[in-house]
Amino acid sequence: MSDHVSPVSLYITIFASLMVLTAVTVGAAFVNLGQFNFLVAMLVAGFKASLVVWYFMHMKYQSHLTKLALAVGLFFLVILLGETMIDYASKDFTPMPPKIDAESEIVKP
Amino acid sequence: MSNVVAHAGQHADSPSRAHHRALQHHFDTMPQQKEAAVIGMWVFLLTEILFFGGLFVAYMIYRIWYFDAFAEASRSLSLFWGGLNTAVLIGSSLTMAMAVRGAQTNKRKATVNWLILTMILGCVFLGVKVIEYSDKFEHHHVPGPNFVWASEHAAPVAEGGAEHTPAPEAAAGHRKLSLTPSQLQRTTQIYFSLYFTMTGLHALHMIIGIGLMSVITWMAWKGRFDEEYYTPVELSGLYWHFVDIVWIFLFPLLYLVERHT
Repeated sequence: MSDHVSPVSLYITIFASLMVLTAVTVGAAFVNLGQFNFLVAMLVAGFKASLVVWYFMHMKYQSHLTKLALAVGLFFLVILLGETMIDYASKDFTPMPPKIDAESEIVKP
Repeated sequence: MSNVVAHAGQHADSPSRAHHRALQHHFDTMPQQKEAAVIGMWVFLLTEILFFGGLFVAYMIYRIWYFDAFAEASRSLSLFWGGLNTAVLIGSSLTMAMAVRGAQTNKRKATVNWLILTMILGCVFLGVKVIEYSDKFEHHHVPGPNFVWASEHAAPVAEGGAEHTPAPEAAAGHRKLSLTPSQLQRTTQIYFSLYFTMTGLHALHMIIGIGLMSVITWMAWKGRFDEEYYTPVELSGLYWHFVDIVWIFLFPLLYLVERHT
């Protein structure tokens, strides 16, 4: 069979990288980066996910058609997340919690 | 048996390749059959991505709205258990990759052992989840009528009057939240609703994955797979890695909302 068999060393390397990146994401959470904390966390998670998809899930060795299928799925995920967030960001839905009782009102930080 | 005869005729141009017993009649070759299965699995996983995607959208909107509540509720989760579970799940992805590799290289025993190890790690993950869930039941952090959020950082409730005094600036590095206790009670509940939905669905996927793997392990033990046909191992591997990826995102989103204060 023409299937690609990855060497064990590659799998160990990917596993080690994933563990290191987990430590990085935990460490970064304890540093105050303001708005960038979230961005860093998501970039690290995205990179970890890519490593899993590319090597553990053998996407690197799949046909273009399979890669295209994944790309289409991610495209729709971006639409789902992105356009919803654009909607919420641009339409001025106020980020107010519902009034819970008469005497308490939200105070913007 | 006319099928076999027809097939023999079709493959007359490649007589060197024996007809594999796992090759179904509507495919020409084993690689073609495998590629079809792999694409089918990926299409299924894409529906799963969008399924979890809906929850991620809900999470994002509420996180932006009630960030302080999310940050505070997130700090109540144990980073130790969450980190341990991340390591366990990444480890189980490695053992799963090794199981697929074992099948690819025709090592029956290795495949079975790696699959069993993967299932054990999956059970460890679920065991830790049980510890975490029971901890939340103890602390009344399960959304519903018994939910109690006892916060140390809530802004003081205005006394008697309808007017609310803004939270005073925090002393000694502790930022005062601008939500009153009753608002925190409400908004942290949203966080925990999302927490239980997302981790609960993730755990359900893991239980299904372990169920799948026990069947695959049995098939591998029976010697159903070889280097030409190991599609079920490969596909359950894809499923298991996908569950791992969901957790890779859930871990920072749920456990690490804001840890530096």
